[in-house]
Order: sequence, then C-alpha cells, then structure tokens
Amino acid sequence: MIHMNARIVGIGTAAILVLIFFAVVVTPRYTNPMADQPSMNHRARTAIEESGRDLYISLGCQYCHSQYIRRIDWDTGAERIAQAGDYVGEYAPQLGSSRNGPDLSQQGGEHTDDWHAAHFYNPRYTRPESFMPPFSYLTGTELAGITAYLQSLGGHMADQRVARQWQWRGQATAAYEAGADANIEWLHRNVPEGWLRVPNPYPITEASFLRGEVIYQRHCLGCHGPVGDGQGPAVRFIYPPPLNFTTLNRHGIEGGATGGMLYYQIMNGITGTAMPYFKRELESEKIWDVSNYVAKQFIGIVDANTEPRGIDAAFEPVDSAPVQVRGN
Amino acid sequence: MNFLLPNEPGSAARRFFLSSAIWLLVGVIFGLIGAIEMVDPDLFPAHEHLTFGRMRPLHINILVFGFLMTAFFGGFLHVIPAVCRTKLISERLANFAVWFYNAIVVAALATLPFGLTQGREYAELIWGIDIAILAAVAVLIFLVFGTIARRTESLLYVSAWYIGGGLIWTFFVFAVGNVVWQAPHGSWMGIHDQILLWFYGHNVVGLVVTPQAIGLAYYIIPRATRTPIYSHSLSLIGFWMLIVMYTHTGTHHLLQAPVPQWLKVLSIVNSISLIVPVFAFLTNVWLPLKDRFSRVFRDVGAKMVFTGTIWYFIVCLQGPYHSLPSVQRVTHFTQWVIAHSHIALLGFGGFIAMGATYYILPIILKRDLYSRLLADFQYWLMLIGTLGIFLSLTFAGLIQGEAWLMGEVVYRVLPELKIYFVVRGIAGVMVVTGAVLFVINVLLTILRKTPPLPVEGSEAETEVAA
Ligand code: HEC
Ligand code: HEC
Ligand code: HEM
Ligand code: HEM
Repeated sequence: MIHMNARIVGIGTAAILVLIFFAVVVTPRYTNPMADQPSMNHRARTAIEESGRDLYISLGCQYCHSQYIRRIDWDTGAERIAQAGDYVGEYAPQLGSSRNGPDLSQQGGEHTDDWHAAHFYNPRYTRPESFMPPFSYLTGTELAGITAYLQSLGGHMADQRVARQWQWRGQATAAYEAGADANIEWLHRNVPEGWLRVPNPYPITEASFLRGEVIYQRHCLGCHGPVGDGQGPAVRFIYPPPLNFTTLNRHGIEGGATGGMLYYQIMNGITGTAMPYFKRELESEKIWDVSNYVAKQFIGIVDANTEPRGIDAAFEPVDSAPVQVRGN
Repeated sequence: MNFLLPNEPGSAARRFFLSSAIWLLVGVIFGLIGAIEMVDPDLFPAHEHLTFGRMRPLHINILVFGFLMTAFFGGFLHVIPAVCRTKLISERLANFAVWFYNAIVVAALATLPFGLTQGREYAELIWGIDIAILAAVAVLIFLVFGTIARRTESLLYVSAWYIGGGLIWTFFVFAVGNVVWQAPHGSWMGIHDQILLWFYGHNVVGLVVTPQAIGLAYYIIPRATRTPIYSHSLSLIGFWMLIVMYTHTGTHHLLQAPVPQWLKVLSIVNSISLIVPVFAFLTNVWLPLKDRFSRVFRDVGAKMVFTGTIWYFIVCLQGPYHSLPSVQRVTHFTQWVIAHSHIALLGFGGFIAMGATYYILPIILKRDLYSRLLADFQYWLMLIGTLGIFLSLTFAGLIQGEAWLMGEVVYRVLPELKIYFVVRGIAGVMVVTGAVLFVINVLLTILRKTPPLPVEGSEAETEVAA
C-alpha cells in the first residue's frame, strides 16, 4: 500500500505536470515547422489594422465570433479552410470557442465600409434578427481601425475582394451622383443580358407573398425600409443609399423582366455598395419569393408566372392560372 | 490589527466564505446581464462598460477566481488542519491572504469592464493581476504545506492530496499558461499559443477547480454521513490518473483547428480515459452510502456537496462524449458547450463550494446556520436554475450544431434560438435569487450571536478504509 506524504503529493505530481507540459505543449511548438511558415494567404497587418485588432479584443468580439474555418463549414468564409500558417506573427490569435455570430476569419471584402458603419452603430439596422450588441459609442478613429481590421481578415484573398469592392464603389458612387435615372440605368446595365429576359417563374399566391414578406422583414427592412422607399434606419450610414424601389416603377423596366433582374441583384448583391449578396442566406425559391414581394408591394410591376418561362417553378399551385407544360 | 488580521482560529476561513458568497452574487449578476443582452441587445443603453464582450469575461473571472476559489480556500483552511489534527500554521497569514486575494478580485472588477484584458479565454486578467494571483497561491501553498508538515496524524487523508496537489498545480498552470511569456500578454505567437492556451484553459477547470472540489467532497460527504470512503486504492487510482490524464486533454478544445493530428488523438484518448478517475472518486464516496443514503440529507451543506457530485457525474459523461470528433462536428462552437460549462462550474464546482460553506461555517462558528429553510429554498432555486440553464442551452446548441452541419448559415438560425435564451434568462433569475439568499444566510450566520453548540464528538474525517 502506497503511503502518501507531502513530498509525493507536492514534488511527485509537480514533476509529472512539468513532464507532460513538455510533451504536449513544448514539443508541438518545436516539431511543427508548418506553423511557423506563413501560409500563401498570410500577410502582415498595418498599424491601423493592429489598432483595430486591439479594439476587437478589448470589446470582446472573440466571445461571439470564431476565426477559423473548419472542413465542415458552409457559412461566410467557407471557401478557405484555416491553416496553421494563417496565424504566424500574431500574439494571442483569436480562434474563439463559440459561434454566436458568423466566423470572421475571411471577413475582409465581404461587406463595404459603410455596411460596417451601419452594422456597428446598430446591427439590427442591417440585420434585423441579429443579437450582436450595438457599438454606437465608437469614435471615428476607433470605427476606422476596427473596420480596417475586419477588412484585413482573410489575408491576400481578402485584399483582392476589398480591391474589387473599391473599384466598383467608384462606379456606383458616380452613377448615384449622376441622378436617379442614370443610377438605375447603371444598375441594370450590370445585370447580365440573360437574366433581364427571365420573368419570375413563381406565381404570386397568398402563401408565397407571405413568405416574401417574412424574408423582406428579416433581411431587407433595415436598409430599404418598411415601405420600400430606401429609408430604413441604416440610411444615415450608407452611401450610395439603399435603393428606393418605388422609383423603379417610374423608370419602367422596358423590355426587361422585373423578376430575373431582381433575382440576379438579390442573389449577387451590388458589389461596391452596401447591398449584400444573399446567395448563402436564401435558397433559390426564397429569392424568387422576395422578388415577387418587392415587385408587387413596392414597384407595382409584376411579371410573375408569365411568358417566356426560363425556369420552371418548383411547385405549380392548382388554383393558379393554367400553366403551359414545356417540352412535349 | 486584531480586526484586520485576527489570530482567532477559523477567522480566515469564515472571511473567505463570506467573500465567496458576495462574489457569487456579483458574478451571476454579470451573467444575467449577458443573458439578457442575448435576448434583447438594445434593452440596456449602448455603453462599452455594459457590452456583452465585457460582461462575459467579467462573469467568468469573478465566478471562477472570485466565487469558486475563495470558497475553496475557505474550505481547506478548515479541512487541512482538521485532517492533520493540528492548527493552521498561521491564522494571521491566512487572514492576510483573505485581504490580498479579495484585492485581486476587486482589481479584476476594476480592469475588465474597461477592456483591460489579455484577450485569451480564462486568461483575461492583465499581467500584474496574474502575478498577484501567483503570490496569493504561493501564500496558500505555504499555509497548507506548513500545516501538513506539523500534522499529528500519520496518515495523510485523500482530501489533503487533492488540496495540496491542486494548489501546486494551480501555481504551475497559472505561471506557464498566463504569466511567464512576453510580459504584457503572456502568450506565444501564432497557432502555438492556442495549444498553450487550452493546456492552460483546460487545466483551470481540471487541475484548479476539480481537485479542490473533489478534496472538499472527500472530506464533507464521509464526515457528514459518518461513513468512511470505500477504498484507499481507489483514491490512489483516482488521484494519480487525474494528474496524468487531465493534463493531456487541452487539445480537445481544438479538434477542428489546424494543430498537429497526434495531439488531437492524444487528447481524445485521454479524455475518454478520464472516466476512470472520475468513477474512482464517485465510487469511493457513493458506494459506502448504499444503505445510509438518507444521512446525506441531514445537513444542507452535505446535500449540496452530494448534488455537486451528481453534476460531476453528468459533466464527466458529457465531456468525453463531446471529445469524440464525430460528436464535436455538431457540438463545437455551439451553446451546448456553454451548457457543459454551467453544469461544470455552477453544478459541480459551485454546488460543492456552496455546500462547503454551509457545512463548514457552523463547525467553525460552533453555532447553527441562520436558517436551514432559507438554505433549502436556495438549494431548490439553484438546482432548478442550473437544470434550466443546462437544458435550454443543450436544446439551443443542438439546433445550432445540426443546422450548421446541414449547411444553414448562422444568421438564419438566430430566430430559432430566442426562446431558449429566454428560458436561460428565467433560469438565470432563479440562480441570482438563490445567490441573494446565500449572501443573506451566510452573513446572518456569521453576525448572529447565539450560544455556541455543544462541541462536536469524535471526528470521522480521518477514517480511511484500509
Ligand atoms: C453577442 C454576441 C456578439 C458580439 C459580442 C459581437 N458580435 Fe458580431 N455578430 C453577432 C451575430 C449574432 C451576428 C450575425 C448577425 C449580424 O450580422 O449582425 C454578427 C455579425 C457580425 C458581422 C457580419 C458578418 C457577416 O459576414 O455578415 C461582423 C463583421 C461582426 N459581427 C463583427 C463584430 C465585431 C467587430 C465585434 C466586436 C466589436 C462583434 N461582432 C461582436 C454576434 C456578436
Ligand atoms: C445594408 C443595406 C441593404 C440591405 C440589408 C439590403 N439592401 Fe438592397 N440595396 C442596398 C443599396 C445600398 C442598394 C443600391 C445601390 C446603388 O444604388 O448603387 C440596393 C439595391 C437593391 C436592389 C437593386 C434594384 C435595381 O433595380 O437595381 C435590389 C433589387 C435590392 N436592393 C433588393 C434587396 C432585397 C430583396 C434585400 C433583402 C433580401 C435587400 N436589398 C437588402 C442596400 C441594402
Ligand atoms: C471527463 C471529464 C471531461 C471531459 C472529457 C471534458 C471535455 C470537454 C470538451 C471536449 C470540451 C470542449 C467542447 C468544445 O469546445 O467543442 C469541454 C469544454 C469545457 N469543459 Fe469539460 N470536460 C470534462 C470535465 C469538465 C469539468 C470537471 C469541468 C469543470 C470543473 C469542465 C469544464 C469545462 C468548461 C468550462 C468548458 C468550456 C471551455 C470553453 O470556454 O470553450 N469540464 N470539456
Ligand atoms: C445567473 C446565472 C447565470 C447566468 C444567467 C449565466 C449566463 C452566462 C452567459 C450569458 C454566458 C455567455 C455565453 C455565451 O458566450 O454564449 C455565460 C458563460 C459562462 N458562464 Fe455563466 N451564467 C450564470 C451562472 C454561472 C455560474 C454560477 C458559473 C460558474 C461558477 C458560470 C460560468 C460560466 C462560464 C465558465 C462561462 C463561459 C462558457 C464558455 O466559454 O463556454 N455561470 N454564462
């Protein structure tokens, strides 16, 4: 029978602890050269980005946001699985342990700076269902720093996305400043030809209209406003401001189909502006539903379920207008 | 001098218990604020000192380093002399530790809301405070080992192994995890730091909280039920396997992160093996009770400690399960992990801390608790509250995990979670109410002047089954 005494308890266990510390913490540090090699995507941060990182840590963003993409992820940033070399030269990397909000490791270039300004002021402005805390008390410099940090997340790939945003931003701003009609014309010029000829394949039924409404309220309200006039609470922060859908009516949608055009823009967003893309959040049918909702409720021009049918709807309600079967 | 650093036996333990109760209340209030913010983020004015990201580290640090640690310190300032059949080596030094340690918690309270943080989970406290914690732990090591050295009982009871060992481990884990590297933030560079951080973070629960709670349970349950533990050999197995296994498992927090594969495998194997020391301990304290179970309920403190061991059982089934890679595909990053944290630190650590307070205070003061009824009421509030937090976060976590795995984005899952966060908030209100009752009961027990109870009979604590 082992007779335990203070020496065994104190020194014996401490020796085991030191040994294991060397095995599981020190050994990996010196036997894992990959982790000291910057990954292809890695880049060093600038001083202002570092100041934003300090703010990120001090405000506790890491308790809700992770910073590594796993093999099984689908959300923001999922195009790139994290590598050990992504964190080279960073003290206390913020991998995080909880995902109350989306992963931020590839956040750079996902949104424009004005989207971030509105989102930080009150996340409900751009994301009505969010429970992220408001950061309206940040000063201008702080906001610039933390936004710069977010835009740097994702290394070289993020830099490319950011550059693309800025390039389009120049055009979007110029178009907006040239007047409402010129702006709409510019917006529509960027929709590929094919989409301008696809009407919304989904008939507007009571159910689909209600679905469209829910989607609008959960995703669009803060910017485009409850009545679609572009006067949601986020409007103060966003430039070019959210589109006033009612102007689309005046502009007419000559020769084009509202449905396909709206679908394309909601799916892909409008690069360079705060208008985000929704292809991750909303599946195809949901985008058609919200397009119908916007078209009927705000624009007043509806092409739902009309010829030519580019795409078949996933369902054909029996009580809707007779539908031609294509093919045979 | 006599008020600040009294020499009266038990005075330091008493003061540690009182501070623990107060820190519990403070800490859960911050937790409740955080929980409310997850339901309605615009309810409180937008202010940086109130924001979730500041409440959360405050909540954790006040509860782990304020509530749990002070209760454990109070507990073993009584237990160590008792199992060694001697007096504490220096009551004045212990009283100094009370003030010093509480100053540290106040310093945490004065820095974290202002964003002064190292930004590493469980290692948020800034460097100066870390150093002070090391100094405080060193003082306690001196007190414990100094007292053990003067023991008149030749057998060293298992509680003393855990408490003495636990303090040494605390010192080491704290020093390497948090202090000795790169002074201002105590971290390594790059991904290596995550391995270091989770070695530290895991051992804060495994080698700091767990051994101290187990040490107290090993003392209180046998003594309160007048039933010796089951087997000395099992104690040995539990003790040595704890120190060997627990230390390997940090990487189970990083199973999906880019760290070496062999470390992950090692951590999984050890996480599952941990069932052995857990059951060694549980068998040791549970089995002898098989036909005297009702004795547990005689004392409300013992009842709480016993409940803590049941939570330990659940935590340590959930933990190994969560360590399996295929399970973690669903559970990692979700609220289910936070459910685990709450049954671990509130259910297991917290119930044993509160139970130790209720059990030991009357012994030190030689008088009854102020109110047994209040204590029972608190017990049920806390128990239902903890269950509520556990169940609501389990549901929320499963919803999150399954939805993400199926390709759903984080934003779209948020509306689903709301109701569970509301339930968690309600459960939180119960825990906070329990904490209020706890402070009242402890305070009035200490302040009340009633004639002392008759001195206790023979001590059962050193009856180790050979
Ligand atoms: C209480 C948890 C919480 C905290 C703290 C928090 N966030 Fe969020 N965050 C969320 C949630 C939930 C979302 C998803 C909804 C949304 O976009 O607002 C989110 C979304 C985001 C997004 C948008 C991601 C995307 O790709 O759409 C960014 C950027 C962001 N947060 C940055 C931050 C920063 C920077 C901080 C710290 C200053 C922070 N968050 C603190 C919960 C949080
Ligand atoms: C963060 C603010 C924001 C949110 C949220 C938002 N939008 Fe936009 N949206 C904009 C901005 C800004 C523009 C206009 C850009 C411009 O004028 O260059 C725009 C333009 C559009 C357009 C272009 C119309 C056209 O004819 O060219 C459509 C369609 C649209 N939004 C639909 C939606 C829908 C549907 C949602 C919700 C699913 C939504 N938006 C959510 C900011 C937002
Ligand atoms: C058999 C024993 C245990 C095992 C195998 C185990 C396993 C785990 C695992 C795998 C996680 C991480 C889950 C994830 O991030 O996906 C975890 C988290 C956690 N565990 Fe345990 N656990 C055990 C016992 C305990 C005990 C006894 C405590 C406390 C006293 C505890 C406290 C915690 C805490 C606080 C976390 C959250 C860490 C964070 O912030 O992410 N665990 N545990
Ligand atoms: C009133 C009761 C309590 C409430 C309402 C509460 C609430 C919360 C909230 C909101 C979080 C953050 C969760 C997140 O990030 O998603 C949290 C985390 C945590 N709480 Fe509590 N808490 C309570 C009691 C306790 C107690 C008594 C303890 C321990 C003694 C505790 C330990 C923790 C820990 C360790 C975490 C971090 C979890 C992790 O990182 O996984 N809580 N709590």
